[in-house]
Amino acid sequence: MIQPFDIQSLVDDLEPVRSVNPRRSMVLPVAAMLLALAVVVFWLGPRGDIVAGEPSSMFLLRGGMLLLLGLANLWAVVRMASPSVGRHDNGWKVALAAAALFPAAAILVAMKRDPMPEITATRDGMECLRMSVMSGLFTAIPMVLLLRGGAPTSPNRAGWITGVAAGGLGAFAYSLHCPANGIIYIGFWYTLAVGICAVLGRLVVPRLIRW
Amino acid sequence: MIAREETLRDLMTLAQRGDKQAYSVLLEQCSLWLSRFFKQKIAPDAVDDLVQDTLISLHRKRASYDPARPFLPWLAAIARYRWVDRLRQTYRHATSELQDIHGTESHEDVVGAQISIARLLDQIPAGQAEAIRLVKIDGLSIAEACAKSGQSEPLIKVNIHRGIKRLTALIESD
Repeated sequence: MIQPFDIQSLVDDLEPVRSVNPRRSMVLPVAAMLLALAVVVFWLGPRGDIVAGEPSSMFLLRGGMLLLLGLANLWAVVRMASPSVGRHDNGWKVALAAAALFPAAAILVAMKRDPMPEITATRDGMECLRMSVMSGLFTAIPMVLLLRGGAPTSPNRAGWITGVAAGGLGAFAYSLHCPANGIIYIGFWYTLAVGICAVLGRLVVPRLIRW
Repeated sequence: MIAREETLRDLMTLAQRGDKQAYSVLLEQCSLWLSRFFKQKIAPDAVDDLVQDTLISLHRKRASYDPARPFLPWLAAIARYRWVDRLRQTYRHATSELQDIHGTESHEDVVGAQISIARLLDQIPAGQAEAIRLVKIDGLSIAEACAKSGQSEPLIKVNIHRGIKRLTALIESD
């Protein structure tokens, strides 16, 4: 058993701490996403159909799915900062499966028509990718800080989930500007943006949050 | 006698506010609970180090406890993480008889049974669990583990590597 003086040294070192609060922990990442969204809207401008007050159904579906994906994974990140045996957080998996409908639908459509004209709309596609990933990386900062202050017990999984959350929120922020509505475009470029953020999260985040 | 879940949760909440007296009691109680927790499947001479590591982690990560949640599952997650981390560091200790403390079904025993390390090992493939038990817990050499399990040397190594990866992913599982 641990020696009494060891316990006493920990007791002597005790300072008050602010205990983790899941809802409060959501605030900074969401604020980062809103800031990224504001930059996109003021710098690049919103979509024309938003300005006209008649957003397209595809925009609403895409935006809603990206926001759902980002928030569900952000919630999982927040919960991972405070570990607990026996807890089941499957919301992020459901959101990920639902979001996978976009690339799945894109593949089905691409089987019936030439997908290249949409995919190789290079300027739009690369901008979509670049801005979504940059916005995602920005929203990832408070998530990583949250995990560093917490006690995540699965650093690799935390890295994946942080990346998906950041990718989803970053892509959502950019989607308010992105004029594209084609399913192949969305299924390719947005999936690529979220995927890149996820891989970056897996490669970088675990090194920053191990304890 | 180890304090009950509700008492430990109250002590931890007070400790997060800086109450040193409550913290001292909490650490003593956690030390007892962790000793029993680790003794279920760890060689006894490794238990002290793991208890100490876990208490230090508890101290460093005390802000990560959410007072709205039960305390023991949080402590068990920290303890499992430290244990898997220790496995990863390839430590070896002499084999001693494993102790089974499931004599009486007290509240602490029930909680312990639900979140024990044995339960964690039961959730990975048998070959991987056997390789980890033989080499990482019982302290056998790779060659000895091969002879005892019938697995080849490369398979033992692969099973340990994959098993520890799986254990890491399962730390918060039931």
